[in-house]
Amino acid sequence: MNINRTTKKIAIAAIIAAIYAALTVAVAPLSYGVMQLRISEAMTILPAFTPMAIPGLFIGAAISNVLSPVGIIDVILGSGASLIAAGLSYLLRDKKWLVPLPPVIVNALVIGPMLYYYYGVDFSLIACILWVGLGQLAVCYGAGIPLMKILEKYRNYFED
Amino acid sequence: MIRDITLGQYYDVNSVIHRADPRVKIISTLLFITELFIVDDFKGLGICALALAAVVTLSKVPLGFILRGMKPILFILTFTFVLNIFMTDGEVLLKLWFLKITKEGRYLAGFMASRLILLIVGSSLLTFTTKPINLTDGIEKLLAPLKVFKVPTHEIAMMMSIALRFIPTLIEETDKIMKAQQARGADFESGNIIQRGKALIPILVPLFISAFQIAQDLAMAMEARCYRGGKGRTRMHEMTLSYMDFLGLILSLMFLALIIFERIYL
Repeated sequence: MNINRTTKKIAIAAIIAAIYAALTVAVAPLSYGVMQLRISEAMTILPAFTPMAIPGLFIGAAISNVLSPVGIIDVILGSGASLIAAGLSYLLRDKKWLVPLPPVIVNALVIGPMLYYYYGVDFSLIACILWVGLGQLAVCYGAGIPLMKILEKYRNYFED
Repeated sequence: MIRDITLGQYYDVNSVIHRADPRVKIISTLLFITELFIVDDFKGLGICALALAAVVTLSKVPLGFILRGMKPILFILTFTFVLNIFMTDGEVLLKLWFLKITKEGRYLAGFMASRLILLIVGSSLLTFTTKPINLTDGIEKLLAPLKVFKVPTHEIAMMMSIALRFIPTLIEETDKIMKAQQARGADFESGNIIQRGKALIPILVPLFISAFQIAQDLAMAMEARCYRGGKGRTRMHEMTLSYMDFLGLILSLMFLALIIFERIYL
């Protein structure tokens, strides 16, 4: 049976979103707040395998952020950051070592200031940015790169 | 690591807030959050707190349930409070060793902590009173104007509702994989952060493979039920705005005006 490509694309994106949300919520409260450590961010390497990971990660982040203490602001800004980062990762998909870089930089620059202003901490804005960046670096490169290397063997599953 | 998670923490009770249109609730929540950032003193926060208390009472969600939802942020609340009280410059009230508590610090810490509590209770009320599926319907309708800019709002909403439906399934799948790997000698409990990170790979890879098979089956099921996308698609319960919804919206806007007035003149 020939499955319509759009239906399959929607299904793949939705499932990626579901995995991201499930993994984020499973490690709450570590996933939220100034000291974020979201293991689901390891999935930010997926745009190197399929462009459907872009809406997938965006929606996964949106669902996870609905539960965030920051609430609806995180849904807009946090998910927006994930969308931009996923798009950039997709564009860098041929340069393996640069794929996890956009989520580190974009999230640090968007979520850092968001947390700084939301929590109103009279702390350095730079510190907030660096802190988020560090958390992202640990997960995106620490778990993302090995994950990417292993998933290479299964690349055919992602092909349309 | 895997727990029984009720996503969204919906509290099932029949109240006027629960029955309200999700679009009105989303807009009102966004307005409330904006208002909390407009106010700059305890007077303003007090007015917001009173309004929130009224809405909480109307929602029939028990206070105990709401307070339990605050537990995850207790740490960040204390951290923010302590940081503000000790790191603000100004007129010193108390000196403890090398740490100083200032008048300004005390005010700021109190203000920020109170605002944070109101922000979280306000935002949580949205998920307490709105089922996730209604939330996504509301978001889809609110994003509809973006269709003019060729944004695929229907597809996004569809992905969101499918994702919500599959989260429990995937959690179960992850649990199965973890147990299967543990039966084969995998260890997820011990080790430092790097070892635990590496230990995730035997879970994530089978999870992705399994998930893609699910996606394949899902696409086939959708096609078999004649899913053709958003064109001409209707729903079982069409969202309509009632008089109460309009009233709620007007009250929200009036409250916004009140807060702006308070900020400027009082």
